[in-house]
Amino acid sequence: MADKTFWLGSDKYLCDRELAQAFHMSRVLGMPLLIEGEPGTGKTELPLQYAKDLNLELFVFPVGSKSNVEQFVARFDHVKYLRDSQIEILNAQREEKGLNTKLTTGNRNPENLSDYVIKGPAAQSFLSPNSVLLIDEIDKAPREFPNDLLYALSHRKFVLPESGEVIEISENEMPAIVITSNREQELPTAFKGRCIYHYIHFPEADIMREIITKHYPKIDNKIVDVAMDVFYHLRNVGLERAPTTREILNWLKYVKQFAQKEAIEKIENLEGIGALVKTQTDLEKIQKHILRDPQDFKRRSTPN
Amino acid sequence: MFETLPERFREYGLAADVRTLLLLNKSMEKGLVKTLGDLYNVLKGVVVKDPEMMGPFTKAYYDYFLNIKIENGDKLSDAIARSETFKKWREDFIKREKLNKEYSLDELINRFLDEVHLTSYDIQSIISGKDIFDNDNPYLEDNDPQNLGDNEATKRHLDKMADYSDLSLEELMKRMEEIAKQQKSKHSGGSHWIGTGGISPYGHGGAARDGIRVGGTGGGKMARKVLNDRKFFPVDMDSIINDKNVDAALASLKGIIEESAHEKLDVPHTIKEGLKRGGLFIPEIKNVSQEKLQVILLIDNGGYSMDPYVYTIRELFKKMKTRFAHDLETYYFHNTIYDRVFSDVRRTKAVLVDRLIKKDANYRVFVIGDASMAPYELNKTSLRSFKKITKKFKKTVWLNPEPKRYWHHTFTINVLKQVVDMYPLTPRGIENAVKDMNRKFSSGKQK
Repeated sequence: MADKTFWLGSDKYLCDRELAQAFHMSRVLGMPLLIEGEPGTGKTELPLQYAKDLNLELFVFPVGSKSNVEQFVARFDHVKYLRDSQIEILNAQREEKGLNTKLTTGNRNPENLSDYVIKGPAAQSFLSPNSVLLIDEIDKAPREFPNDLLYALSHRKFVLPESGEVIEISENEMPAIVITSNREQELPTAFKGRCIYHYIHFPEADIMREIITKHYPKIDNKIVDVAMDVFYHLRNVGLERAPTTREILNWLKYVKQFAQKEAIEKIENLEGIGALVKTQTDLEKIQKHILRDPQDFKRRSTPN
Repeated sequence: MFETLPERFREYGLAADVRTLLLLNKSMEKGLVKTLGDLYNVLKGVVVKDPEMMGPFTKAYYDYFLNIKIENGDKLSDAIARSETFKKWREDFIKREKLNKEYSLDELINRFLDEVHLTSYDIQSIISGKDIFDNDNPYLEDNDPQNLGDNEATKRHLDKMADYSDLSLEELMKRMEEIAKQQKSKHSGGSHWIGTGGISPYGHGGAARDGIRVGGTGGGKMARKVLNDRKFFPVDMDSIINDKNVDAALASLKGIIEESAHEKLDVPHTIKEGLKRGGLFIPEIKNVSQEKLQVILLIDNGGYSMDPYVYTIRELFKKMKTRFAHDLETYYFHNTIYDRVFSDVRRTKAVLVDRLIKKDANYRVFVIGDASMAPYELNKTSLRSFKKITKKFKKTVWLNPEPKRYWHHTFTINVLKQVVDMYPLTPRGIENAVKDMNRKFSSGKQK
């Protein structure tokens, strides 16, 4: 029986409550969970931390622009198949000529087609009950990829190429499937219909603080106050690429090595801002912003 | 049960159908739905497939299950305060609280939202004492005063709590049915199910638990947030592109990515066929498709009438270029194209139309302009140039920022739209333009 209990995160990972509910629901219903949201909001972390926390087997399929269902499910190794079948002929010829030495096919038998099927993460996870399967950044895939998954997702069944072997799993042992997307491409409606959908909202200040303290339990509170103020202010300036959770964590990693006073000074002077702002136009925009009204920026980034 | 749900939800533009009901039923069987808050969450996961649908979904939910109508631009709290449902609930609430405390309207609405969005997860975590929102947060005091309402919400106590976890499915169904019935007779003003086993966890005779905190009130808070943020409502696909819907326009443009085929050695096939031939291998070739996109933009940047759009259009296509990293060339013209276009914004570097049409015929051409000018400006040279362009580039469309309903008033628009297929410069217009472009391509391929 799969783990269908409610999971709220671990000591390293704070799972947003709404997300936790959606994840629970998807596991209970045996449907994949499709998570969308801004980059850096912990979409990918969910299945990784879940698998780690509960000690479940994890299979990851990072999607790229050339991904296809064969890589995801299973592919047939034609080259090896050719080599082995040639070897058989060769060995027969050698025998005819009275030679004893034989070439080996490494226990593979060309008669047995399943020896040449290389299983991808999907097939593997369907073979190990109650595992976790992550399909990361599905929006990067070619357009037909999500549609090609539809059959498997709704029937919990894969047919392996050439060997025709069928991998099937019961709803109860179905792996927890998590699919993430950055919305770079609209996914087909039929595909979304097969998933439980969850959109991650950007964490608000109180949640962000919890996330930060989960990562850096010993961090000085005053530093976090000042840094978060600057951070949320930057997010409201209207940058091309607003800083995300990942970025504030990186920034704090840098400033937290200094003593409180020094660290706060560094934050106020926007030192190491490169950790937060990633494009040239954004940097210019911030500089302009500060030039126009330095007092405002200073005031907003200084704790009362 | 809930048979009317898909229909009513579709009125809000949501994609609800029979499958929604089936999934909802399955969720109930699996014990996922025990409170109204659960119902909100489960339906959200099943119905909402895009953040833009969160707003309409929340409205539909409040309408269908609570008979609370949220008008456009309404705040959730205002809509609640206005509703019969809330008035009935308040009477009931005051009765069961025995009023040893004065409640402000805001507080009451917060309590109402708490009860509406109370999920079985909340109850579960309270019961098992694992409420992660339960820890005192000393930093909250530092926040703006306007946030105080929310902070209070997280700190509020629910003194008694009904335990829904042992509620049987049958009982639940019965209650839900009651809600549905009430829904049908809503014009008779009957919302009296509130408090008698409707939304209120008190109404049901569960075990009362004293002094337990319900924290977070995530659902209610989120519902408010969703209704106040444009991001959670669909953009108007029929308004001329602007900063707000430029992303939707970009999404419509995505359809123009196309695949071109080139040839590649097909290893598996070669081997298979070779084996059949008894070891004689002849290379087998297969077509491999590759994404490819070439675009020429012709922008009318002369005259005041086009000024407001030029910037947004350039942003749009710039975004498209960075997103897809493909071939994009931009040229400018004033009012109409005669024998030349210009490669710079100030129109000093001329490029002859005859040179332009020497380019690969696979280029897609977007002409963007209002096509409105004095009739004499649109002379034979100009028309000939457009004909040359459309003849060479089969995939040429005109995007016009002028609202479509005015098109027939302008002579030059009427003429030009017979030469170049014209679409309004709206996300939907772009979508249709791209669709028709692609159709032309496929019919061209069959030749």
